[in-house]
Amino acid sequence: MAQSLAIIPDRCTGCVQCELACSWVQTGTFQPSKSLIRVSVFDEEASYAPYTCLQCDEAWCMTACPVNAIAIDESNGAKVVIESLCVGCHLCTIACPFGTVFTLPETDKAAKCNLCGGEPACVMACPTDAIEFVEQETAGNWFESWGERVNSKYVDAMAVENGDS
Amino acid sequence: MSKHHVIIGGGPAATNAVETIRQMGDAGDRITLVSDEPAHSRMALPYWLCGSIPREHTHTGDEDYFSRLNVDARIGARATALDTQKNTVSLDNGDTLDYDNVLIATGSSPLDPPIPGTDLPGVQPMWSLAHTQLALDTADGMDQPRVALVGAGFIGFIVLNAMFKRGWKLSVVEREGQVLPRMLDAASASFVESWLGSQNVDVHTGTTVTEIQAAGGGSKVVQLSDGSSIEADLVIIATGIRANVGLVDGSGIDVDQAILVNNRMQSSVPNVYAAGDVAQGPVLYSSQPEVHAIQPTAVDQGRVAGANMAGQDVTYPGSLLMNVVDVCGLQCASFGNWNDESAEAITISNPIENIYRKLLWTGDQITGAIFTGRPNDMGMLTDVGMVKGILQTQTPLGAWKGYLSENPFDIRRAYIAAGVAQKLTGATLLGRPTRPRGYRFGNAQPVARVNDAHALFADTRPK
Repeated sequence: MAQSLAIIPDRCTGCVQCELACSWVQTGTFQPSKSLIRVSVFDEEASYAPYTCLQCDEAWCMTACPVNAIAIDESNGAKVVIESLCVGCHLCTIACPFGTVFTLPETDKAAKCNLCGGEPACVMACPTDAIEFVEQETAGNWFESWGERVNSKYVDAMAVENGDS
Repeated sequence: MSKHHVIIGGGPAATNAVETIRQMGDAGDRITLVSDEPAHSRMALPYWLCGSIPREHTHTGDEDYFSRLNVDARIGARATALDTQKNTVSLDNGDTLDYDNVLIATGSSPLDPPIPGTDLPGVQPMWSLAHTQLALDTADGMDQPRVALVGAGFIGFIVLNAMFKRGWKLSVVEREGQVLPRMLDAASASFVESWLGSQNVDVHTGTTVTEIQAAGGGSKVVQLSDGSSIEADLVIIATGIRANVGLVDGSGIDVDQAILVNNRMQSSVPNVYAAGDVAQGPVLYSSQPEVHAIQPTAVDQGRVAGANMAGQDVTYPGSLLMNVVDVCGLQCASFGNWNDESAEAITISNPIENIYRKLLWTGDQITGAIFTGRPNDMGMLTDVGMVKGILQTQTPLGAWKGYLSENPFDIRRAYIAAGVAQKLTGATLLGRPTRPRGYRFGNAQPVARVNDAHALFADTRPK
């Protein structure tokens, strides 16, 4: 069963506990810059949204890897970096069109959300249930409505600024 | 009726085609693969060269892999002739193979520039498994080999980075006025050059090698057209590559710089396919077919070719030019039409940190981009992939162009608002989820790794 993290941005308070939890369990440090989930501010909504790998069907990172160091965890469909195989060529970081594969400077190896083996720390850490562990098909559902709201408010604001309305 | 697919080559295009045929084709289909070197990934060779992986880690298939996929693998054999009338391929061992479909995935070879002295021992390209072994043999026993790299292109720089990690003494010669001339513009290249200076790599641009002379004890002197010279134990020639199209010479198959293919990877003879460095096919951001001699294009073209050879109808939207190279610790990446002089450019740079970011616009679409920066700073860390997503989906950004002009480091909001992530959700190359790949070195298994802290965290958090 393919699973993924779904985001409910309206519930996000921007507390970045997901980033702290992720960096802790993935790298052993409390350092948001090493988190594999990243919270962004969206001014138009006066709100925040965490963003991370959808474990997408195409798996651009996996197909781009020259040494097959990214593979599917059959238990939940997560695309997982096999650190012992990763040579550090960075190709996956530019091949992923979602921008959710990173390089960890300490190891010079790729790092991405691996769903923590089925118990995502970010989900456990979120105090407002803004991140849910769901069936993969529904994980990207928030993009459309959230994107449209952010877009229309920005466009309207620009129109006001430019004196168009 | 079952078919016989002949695959010529052992690189990523070839193995991905094989796997795709097995996933999407008739179980009774026969596959024969012909490759003079073991199936391997050229991208991985520098990591063997730098000592971080063993030779076998560069391999992308072994005997067990081919037997599992029921492939008759002729490793060590070379295809010498193609007869498109009789549908046969001749091999150098005297065998002749009949085919229903043939995939030419013979890759490319390094250019051999007309420089006197390139035949000296210790002067070589760095392109194959054999070349890598040769370079390691030359350096064996030397404390700090002195290396001259002729050519400061993408390939030269991957090799440069590997040798830098080894601690070897490095000099680079580039004919053009800047390093990475087919990947970076002059301004970002100047950052790379100053970075290389700070890393004690000797850079000579705007000059050519006139001769390589033997000096005593195996060392060589590389003479440059500006009158200077470089002493080296090892000289690597990396002045460019050309497609290995020799096999189709005289076959009537259309060839320009490489074998011309349509969006199903078919050549002008429909049951002759080509993929990877030897193919010149559809690209995003141009109506003219181009050769994109890069790993992701080889993989995608190999998969599309394999799907069509297997009888499916899969079309390729076109490849996106993208390169990323670690230049001794400074990351450089470029995408699409990064060198389009007619495009409108938004550039932001920080010469102290060597951060450079250029977004090239055609109307309200990003059609090219250049990045440099250290891997742990904002120049590279957060959103290079999102720019790739914007390019790949060819999404107009409308009013967000103005936003990005002022905030080029804040791609994420524009990316979400313009609906790029939404377009990519569920998008696949072959019309279905990608299957697990067939070979991993040492049979390594995908296990999600988490720190010990995870158990502590899971056990102690408030319920």
